[in-house]
Amino acid sequence: MSVLLKADGLAVTARLAGGDLRLLDDVDLEIRRGQIVGVVGESGSGKTTLARCVVGLLDRNVRVEHGSVTLAGDVVVAPGVDRTDRVRGSAVGMVFQDASRSLNPLMRVRTQLAEVLRRHVRDITRAEVRRRSLEVLEQMRIADPSRVLDSYPHQLSGGLRQRVAIALAVVTRPALVIADECTTALDVTTQTKVVGLFRTLVDELGIGLLFVTHDLMLASDLCDRITVMSGGRVVEAGDAASVLDRPQQDYTRRLLAAIPSWT
Amino acid sequence: MKASTVRRVGSRLASLFASLLIALSLAFLLGRLSGDPTATILGPLAPPEQREALRHELGLDLPLVVQYFDYLRGILTGDLGQSLQFYQSNTSMIADRLPYTLQLVAAGMGLAVCVGVPLGVLAATREGTWWDRAASTVALLGQSVPVFWFGMMLVVLFAVKLGWLPAGQSGTPKHLILPALTMSVYPMAHIARLTRASMSEALAEPYIDSARARGLGNRRVVWRHAFANAMMPILTIVVLQTGILLSGAVAVEYVYSWPGLGQLALQAIQFRDFPLVQAIVVFGALVFVLLNLVVDVLHSIVDPRVR
Ligand SMILES: Nc1ncnc2c1ncn2[C@@H]1O[C@H](COP(=O)(O)OP(=O)(O)OP(=O)(O)O)[C@@H](O)[C@H]1O
Ligand SMILES: [Mg+2]
Repeated sequence: MSVLLKADGLAVTARLAGGDLRLLDDVDLEIRRGQIVGVVGESGSGKTTLARCVVGLLDRNVRVEHGSVTLAGDVVVAPGVDRTDRVRGSAVGMVFQDASRSLNPLMRVRTQLAEVLRRHVRDITRAEVRRRSLEVLEQMRIADPSRVLDSYPHQLSGGLRQRVAIALAVVTRPALVIADECTTALDVTTQTKVVGLFRTLVDELGIGLLFVTHDLMLASDLCDRITVMSGGRVVEAGDAASVLDRPQQDYTRRLLAAIPSWT
Repeated sequence: MKASTVRRVGSRLASLFASLLIALSLAFLLGRLSGDPTATILGPLAPPEQREALRHELGLDLPLVVQYFDYLRGILTGDLGQSLQFYQSNTSMIADRLPYTLQLVAAGMGLAVCVGVPLGVLAATREGTWWDRAASTVALLGQSVPVFWFGMMLVVLFAVKLGWLPAGQSGTPKHLILPALTMSVYPMAHIARLTRASMSEALAEPYIDSARARGLGNRRVVWRHAFANAMMPILTIVVLQTGILLSGAVAVEYVYSWPGLGQLALQAIQFRDFPLVQAIVVFGALVFVLLNLVVDVLHSIVDPRVR
């Protein structure tokens, strides 16, 4: 299958008062269509920085020093290059950690979905907006999509809000979805549901998924491949099974040992 | 409407009504505490019989409770008493002056909003840049300049030195420019600073990042998402400032001899015309309560969470 996303020797630095701080160093990553790649690492290892770099949402004091990010063969990020506005929300969808706060509290779900559709689908009709909004909520396995469409975020449960946030990221049918710790704030049951949902989305739509988490167990359940990060570097990458069963690095072994039921 | 909404609206109305009643009672008591008005009207040498007759005429010989209920009944029927110096109904005098003050406040606040809001948004979207620092400095200056002094300076420059605009009085739109400009400075600065703070808070919210991640344009993210969420404190201040200015923009009206409510209040105080002072205070309290209701209604329109 074709390569969807490729990060090649990516190095990213933050400019601080005391000097430059390297956040990512020589990071390689590859995602194919229909594949789920997990990025795992302890807090501060650079997972979010990597995810945000791909969609061009780095902080103002952060910039790309070396390497590149390619999407379906086109360079979107490189030193001094930022073409992410062409792909953001259309070819790449992103889901953030805190779903309850990633929806605008003043807008109905319907309005937020319509806004994204109108932005990315040229000349879309009102009927088509409604049809696709209902369709994506059904894909999210939401039982009564028309009620959810008419709701404001505060009228929905946390799990529903999370699924709406995912719906907003996939309604434009992006080829790649990035999920940054998007299940961390959920209880275990809801988390399982959301993870299952991602699996079906990937299988049904053939998208690629970059799944960022600090939870190695969760990653092993869901992902095809796992990239382990530490201190802004990739310390281990490979098939989920082999990373878990035969970790090559001490760091990965320690991450594994931190899970009570493992070893 | 939900039962909880009805309950909240009910308790809000009750508390507004209570504060109105307190304000009205205070205005009444202050009027009675400020000394015997018959001495002011007739002079200290008037014979006691004459003062007694006037006290009877003004109803001051009645028990305080009776006077109080008469006063409240008057307010309900739109009768705010008689002025001691103009021998006229206070209500009709306030009604005569109100259009002038309304004009001035509308122009001044309009200007304040039209400049203050964009200035604050500009500063917030370019946080930490030269733009931000410049806007913040201007706003700080605007809040610390005395209205009185600023008005004088404008008169000296535009009326006396350049002769472009009239120095005072009213009548034509030209007469409105300097007073409105003077009046707008403080609220403009206040609105700019508040917009800056409220906007930079909203821009840091996760839904802003998410909106950007969905590929929405910068203008849409800033106005439709951030500004809509930052708007409520700004609206509140605009409405309440309007209330403050409506019940007496004393300094501005004095500097420009503008025949509005502020000038009327000044005259009332100078001549110890206690019924008129009281009437203006009552009018201010009514306006304030009304505008508080406006804020509540706006809030429930803007934010579905408080409906
Ligand atoms: N704008 C910035 N300026 C300076 N340092 C930054 C900036 N953004 C991130 N960092 C630093 O970079 C490091 C990596 O941050 P990042 O958020 O990518 O980690 P993470 O792996 O996502 O962690 P977590 O699991 O806690 O979300 C952290 O040490 C963080 O403090
Ligand atoms: Mg993170």
